[in-house]
Amino acid sequence: MAYKMNRRGIVKGIAASTLAVPFINLRAATAQSGPIPIGVVTPLSGPVQLIGNFVRHGAEIGAAHVNDNGGINGRPIELVFRDSKANPNDASVAARELVGSGTNLQLGTISSAVALAMGPLLESEGGVVITTGAGTEKINHENYNPHVFRVGDSPVSRNAGLVRHIVESRPDLRKWGGIIPDHEYGRTTWKIFEATMRKAVPEMTGEEAEIAEPILVPYGSGDYRNYIAQAMRMDVQGIYTSVYGGDAVTLYQQAKPFGLFDKIDVLLDSANEFLVATAMGDQTPAHWSGFHWYYEANKGNPLSDDLYAKYVEATGDTYPMGWAAEAHAAVLAYAGAIEKAGSTETDDVIAGLKGLRFDSATGERHIRAEDNQAVKNAELAYIEPSSTAPAGFEVTDYVSLDGEKVVEPARPGQMLDTSNL
Amino acid sequence: MYDVGMTVFNGLAWAMATFLVAAGLTLIFGILHILNFAHGGFFMIGAYVSYTVMIALGGALPLWLYLIGAMVAGVVVGLLGWAVDMLVFRRLRDVDDAYSLIATYALLLLCGGVVQLIWGLNYLGVMPPPVLNSVIFLGDMFMPTYTIFIILCGVLVYVGLELFIAKSQTGRLIRVVAADPWMAQLLGLNVKRIYLFTVILSFALAGLAGGLLMPNQSLSPELGGIFLLQAFGVIILGGMGSIRGAFLAAIVLGLIESFGVYFFPQYPGIFFLLALAIILLIKPEGIMGREQTA
Amino acid sequence: MIDYRARFRINLAIALCGLAVFAIVPFVANSGLVFLAGLVAINIVFGLCWNFLFSGAGLLSFGHAMFFAAGAYGMAVVSLRMPELPFFLGLAFGSACGALIAMIFGYIALRRASGVYFAVLTLAFSELIHIYITKTTFLGRNDGLVGIPRPTIDLGPWVLDLTSATSYYYFIIVAMTIAAFALWCFQNSPAGRLIQAIRQDPLRTAFLGAGIRGWQLTAFVVSGTIAAFCGAVMVPFTQIASPEIAVWTVSTQPILFTLLGGAGHFWGPAVGAILFGAIAYGTRAMQGLSDITVSVLLLTVVLLIPGGLLGLWQRRRRKAGGRQPGQAGDDARPGTAAGKVEARQ
Repeated sequence: MAYKMNRRGIVKGIAASTLAVPFINLRAATAQSGPIPIGVVTPLSGPVQLIGNFVRHGAEIGAAHVNDNGGINGRPIELVFRDSKANPNDASVAARELVGSGTNLQLGTISSAVALAMGPLLESEGGVVITTGAGTEKINHENYNPHVFRVGDSPVSRNAGLVRHIVESRPDLRKWGGIIPDHEYGRTTWKIFEATMRKAVPEMTGEEAEIAEPILVPYGSGDYRNYIAQAMRMDVQGIYTSVYGGDAVTLYQQAKPFGLFDKIDVLLDSANEFLVATAMGDQTPAHWSGFHWYYEANKGNPLSDDLYAKYVEATGDTYPMGWAAEAHAAVLAYAGAIEKAGSTETDDVIAGLKGLRFDSATGERHIRAEDNQAVKNAELAYIEPSSTAPAGFEVTDYVSLDGEKVVEPARPGQMLDTSNL
Repeated sequence: MYDVGMTVFNGLAWAMATFLVAAGLTLIFGILHILNFAHGGFFMIGAYVSYTVMIALGGALPLWLYLIGAMVAGVVVGLLGWAVDMLVFRRLRDVDDAYSLIATYALLLLCGGVVQLIWGLNYLGVMPPPVLNSVIFLGDMFMPTYTIFIILCGVLVYVGLELFIAKSQTGRLIRVVAADPWMAQLLGLNVKRIYLFTVILSFALAGLAGGLLMPNQSLSPELGGIFLLQAFGVIILGGMGSIRGAFLAAIVLGLIESFGVYFFPQYPGIFFLLALAIILLIKPEGIMGREQTA
Repeated sequence: MIDYRARFRINLAIALCGLAVFAIVPFVANSGLVFLAGLVAINIVFGLCWNFLFSGAGLLSFGHAMFFAAGAYGMAVVSLRMPELPFFLGLAFGSACGALIAMIFGYIALRRASGVYFAVLTLAFSELIHIYITKTTFLGRNDGLVGIPRPTIDLGPWVLDLTSATSYYYFIIVAMTIAAFALWCFQNSPAGRLIQAIRQDPLRTAFLGAGIRGWQLTAFVVSGTIAAFCGAVMVPFTQIASPEIAVWTVSTQPILFTLLGGAGHFWGPAVGAILFGAIAYGTRAMQGLSDITVSVLLLTVVLLIPGGLLGLWQRRRRKAGGRQPGQAGDDARPGTAAGKVEARQ
């Protein structure tokens, strides 16, 4: 029976060998010619796919840009997508699988836990990852790993930039409070906000800043009224918040009838970009938001204009958010590093990325060799509700701050020291 | 005085929003003995449907149109309930509890996926109708009218359900079936139809809750899970499918959560779970004990 | 009369065959697939211990993530904060954490042992553990504990170097085979059979003098300990313990494995876990469809083939020509959930 070959047996055999294709180790197959594969490991399903979609479009537009200009040393980029499910285990499977099949260059990490998991993993497997929005300060401090790069803002440059701009434009504001998520990210951002504020206000005005205890709010809650009531009790002129995404929308919606935003002069939002404004339309409270990339602030930069035009063309959405630009920049960084190093091997690319200067949608970026952190412009925009704008809101002011002035000094391997911000 | 008043007020808001979601859940739980994970998912669909109605009618609506939007959500989700009973619940009647729990969990996942396909991933938000978008001052307390409205809705739904179950013909039949479906069958009652009616009513309540609470919440495919654990806690603490129990449990848990946040602001979000565990340790059978369905 | 010795041999053979198949993987697959296979091996035992509680003791747990996380964090804390302690002590400490949590919460939850109540209580406890982890600086809060080293084990004359992912993979599959088979032995021991008897008829078993609550608690603790062991073994492999493994959706994983594979069969969850791994691998480049895929698959299984894949296979085989004597004799233990479902159809 075992020796009798029949049609079904052959079909099975073919099916089995097709199935086996992904199992074969392809590392030997990565030659010095043909397309250069770059892995994009980012959430492609579940609620966080909202962010993953920006990363995907940004990476695609970046790759198209490189390929249209003759590729990298004549070789085109080929993107390989994998679903990270925003979970360290799934992201690890994807990253290892990609390295195993010859895709050692990767990008797309947006969650802090995933970014922290990638360092030891890629060090032992032999690969590099460029994070495109992970907010933790640890990746360029105590958990620094040479295999992990960040082409976007560090949490310091983002929040310190926000604070410095506000203090300069509104030196009359001394009393500040905060509403922050009860999460590592919330604590980090608050620590930076508080330290910078305590330093910047006396520098500008000669008087001390008065900063209230921040209000901690839980993640994914449907009811923030108790926290809003706490905020109403604060005697402050400005409120800083790093509450994120849907939680921020719920918080603002519930806070509005209490009159919280009428009571204060300025609302600072660390990172929501247009997430809140597109959800709330003309009910958006006026606020400053930090941006990875705000296209109006980069008008005239061909990379930015190209990214914006192609994004709108691909999605029909006229409010792209900064993750797209970070993924876009990650692809450009790889292109620059490979060109500089003349190789796609992990160690060569790491050497190429360190100290790299490259053009991006936010102008020139410079990756510090010491801690793999990019120095780039910190961008902020003031979003106000509007009765005339079709979306119900408009940006009435924006700034782009020089990255060198707001980024923290490189201290790889050590904890963030807020005393020298 | 200000602090105590505001804390009680916010606790009641939490309680009634949760009760609006839990009301339909406890109905199915009491009568079909199915703990419906998908309830949160259908609550979410209700919110999205009424959002669509609202946008179609042009955004900021007068109160009566907003209420009609919520009703439409109730009807649509009620119809979905009819389909779910035919396709899913009916087939689960004779199997182990675990299977129905898991089938409804799968339905919850499906709701999230379908919402994502139809409405996309973007966060959406709507403000309450202008009438409900103001504040009433009581001494130095400020009470948003929309919050007062939610508390009133919770009380109204509770009273309505109590009256319906206690006084109406259908309500009596439901109680008979809940107490002993086998005997009800012998007496010639159409148990299947009463089950179907219960499911439709429960789903309609979920849709209505979604429509009413929509301006309270940002809409995203995550919404299905947000109230779920709270609502579960409320019906478990309330006791076997008792509507009165769920109502009281919602108030108790809402006040504990609210005062917990007031006294220990550095630990947000855990008082509800702690209270649930401790109360059940002291009184394992829940607030209404062994009493069945209202 | 059931021939336990024959069953013992058959199930040992199944476990060893499984081990052999997993042992081949590193020779034919790339490192990503080996990593996935290691996680699948851990998931198999995670599913088996959940099903032991479900089909064996009749307790539906919706909170197994808390045990898994307890084991993972126990191991992570030992290997990061007390690196001088031997590796096996870390495993033991992790498992003990799971056992302790199971004992405390089991004692509380079993006061209301009826199915759905028990399920929701375990869900709430699990959520508490999740929140506790995210608030404890010692446990790394939301970012978790990273950079957990893989061990080198000193066995006197030999030194076992498990620092590479592949060598640790072999440690995993051996450890999981032993855990799975130990669980089988326990389930078929007199104590295990008594637990099953309680599930089938609590009243009558109580008349025979068995303390029902005590035995249910025993089953809960055994299951929790093994789940914690799985978590403890996983952590040096992934080198990270993050709060994501304590989220309630992780608790649904063993349930999905079990139902997909077949709750009425000891090895059902193993089949389910392997199939799930394959689905995760197949959909890794797909966008936005994984929720719908998983939910439709689950609904189909629950509604159309409630016995799971093994149940379906067995029914077909029976139709095809009666039972073959002496083969896989324990496939259809009456009284398990699937048996109950089939009997009612």
